[in-house]
Amino acid sequence: MVSWIFDVPTWEFAALTSGAFILFSWLGAIFARPILRPLLGGRSSLNDIVGYILSIFGVFYGLLLGLLAVAAYQGYGTTQGIVAKEASSLAALRRDIAAYPEPERQNLTWLLRDYTRYVVKQAWPLQQRGIVPKGGDVRMTAFQERLLRFQPMTAAEEVMHAETLRQFNVYYEARRMRLQSVGTSIPGTMWYVVFLGAIANLVLVWLFDMSLLSHLFLGGLLAAFLGAMIFLIADMDNPFRGAVSLSAAPFEPILSDLMED
Amino acid sequence: MVRRPRLSRTVLAVAAVCAALLSGCDGRLLEKLFTPPPGPTPIRIGLLHSQTGTMAISETGLRDAEELALLEIDAAGGLLGHPVEAVIEDGRSRSADIFPRRARKLLSEDKVFALFGGWTSDSRKAMAPIIAEAKSLLFYAVQYEGNECAEGVIYTGSTPNQQILPALDWFLGDAGGRRRRFYLIGSDYVYPRTANYVARKYLASKGVEVVGEAYVPLGSHDFRRPIAELRGTNPDVVLSTINGDSNVDFYAELAKQGVGPDELPVVATSIGENEIRSLLPSQVAGQWVLANYFQSIDTPANRAFVDAFRSEFGLDRVTDDPMESAYVAVKLWKLGVERAGTTDPQTVLAALSKGASIEGPGGTVRFDPRTRHLAKKFRLGLVREDRQIAVVHESPEPIEPDPYPAFAFPGWRCDWTQGPPVAGAPIDLSAGSTPGR
Repeated sequence: MVSWIFDVPTWEFAALTSGAFILFSWLGAIFARPILRPLLGGRSSLNDIVGYILSIFGVFYGLLLGLLAVAAYQGYGTTQGIVAKEASSLAALRRDIAAYPEPERQNLTWLLRDYTRYVVKQAWPLQQRGIVPKGGDVRMTAFQERLLRFQPMTAAEEVMHAETLRQFNVYYEARRMRLQSVGTSIPGTMWYVVFLGAIANLVLVWLFDMSLLSHLFLGGLLAAFLGAMIFLIADMDNPFRGAVSLSAAPFEPILSDLMED
Repeated sequence: MVRRPRLSRTVLAVAAVCAALLSGCDGRLLEKLFTPPPGPTPIRIGLLHSQTGTMAISETGLRDAEELALLEIDAAGGLLGHPVEAVIEDGRSRSADIFPRRARKLLSEDKVFALFGGWTSDSRKAMAPIIAEAKSLLFYAVQYEGNECAEGVIYTGSTPNQQILPALDWFLGDAGGRRRRFYLIGSDYVYPRTANYVARKYLASKGVEVVGEAYVPLGSHDFRRPIAELRGTNPDVVLSTINGDSNVDFYAELAKQGVGPDELPVVATSIGENEIRSLLPSQVAGQWVLANYFQSIDTPANRAFVDAFRSEFGLDRVTDDPMESAYVAVKLWKLGVERAGTTDPQTVLAALSKGASIEGPGGTVRFDPRTRHLAKKFRLGLVREDRQIAVVHESPEPIEPDPYPAFAFPGWRCDWTQGPPVAGAPIDLSAGSTPGR
């Protein structure tokens, strides 16, 4: 899907999608319908045939849109889960390092704060622009380097250190998954099928023998609904972009906590 | 009678409408209609410091101070009507290969207008030819050994005559206990070796003995033997040019061997509040630090700087001398761009060369167009129990920079207002050195 839609305010994008479909439907009803219907013979039974085809087509197209909407929502939900897991493992890591003796505790806290600050203030805005942030890698490496320099002196410190390393790996895995999900979206080819299907739907409606007013009302209604569905899928498609997107809120309390530490 | 239209015309009409809608789907048409007009292009600068490896302990603070200066510039409306954007790279504490490679990438691929980077002199020397070739600017914010006046490099850290030599004078005088047996220890690279050469020459000119000199690899963590050797020479003061996280191990080992500041004071050129935070107070309190800036300086400008830094990066963060220099470097570049009315590096340099001074957190600093260094105050500090540094002595006025003090570099001269630097007699950095036992 084109990326510029995420830069347009939600209401503008919703109005644009529905409006474009309504306009297409109305233009067709006014200009294409008088040509298309006689072309197909203009028989009185044509309404039944068109209705029959439209109902079959509607089932398949509805399934396609429904499945896409579910896939987009599931993708959003899965990413939301990844972000929640990442934030909770970061909070756990933050608690683990609080148990280290000084000066390691402070050093690790500063490095973890540096990383968390980057995630909230720099990485998230980049993700919202569809860019995979890269500055976190170096901060994670710095944290890991410092963590690995710690030499446990007691059995309790050994256990604590092992747990911190395990937690670090859990965190790192969740982080990788989040970064991988930055660029995931419905393939462009699929979008062409969706748009072609919507156009076919509206073209079929033009073939009905109704008054122009009925065409404008019923066709416009269907077009508005199709536009709204497509808007919904598009807006949920990329979990980090647009109005329906994941924010850095799960990380903000951790950063706030680290800032005051 | 309804006239039956021709099929091809109808198909074409429908196809045209469909194509119009699909072209909207592809986005080119709608993108043009709905994309807001682009904002001002950001002015990009490069920040190249070691964020990992042995130098990360020191250099990460520089990156943060530079980011703070950029945030302040953007908050005040940007520069020439443009926001300023930092492209940040990690030098990975590898001066020879990563620093020049990343510097080249920043200049040629990221098209940055100026580079702020480095800590070790090796990293600066590795970047300098690339800067000269690109006719760009490198702002280098760390105190260094002098003996250099590289094209395109603006040195906002101090030279030995602004840091080491005033400290030696102080320790030679009554206030410093009239010390006469100096031991020089440093990391094994160009800064410590050259700085110690300058110190040795200076002490020799005063008739004072250097009882020993030792170097440890950069990144070294084992100081048992170097400290044992140092103690064997019975010095009454140690001048340390150890860099990076080796400092933590050096002071920890001193404390472990029971060598306190009363018995053997250590005067360090390359540690500050940022490195000291990695030590326990018992390991470092009472030791000496040379700098132009300490966080404890009680002036409104410094309080504002420290408060701004802490509110951005954490309430327990500290500021130190190279961080202040890095912050001043960005502000100096901003001043140059504003005066030049362009980001073109050579025009910015020319604008600064007409005379520029900045009211920094550590006081007023003045750009010297001859050497492209800053005139700044010297300060000698003592580490307190809270790991802050108390100012014990400071020069009454900013000291003019001198990258080639005549007693150490006879015949060498740097005056860019007259032309490129003039080379003097060849220098043997090991001349007169006394290896530690």
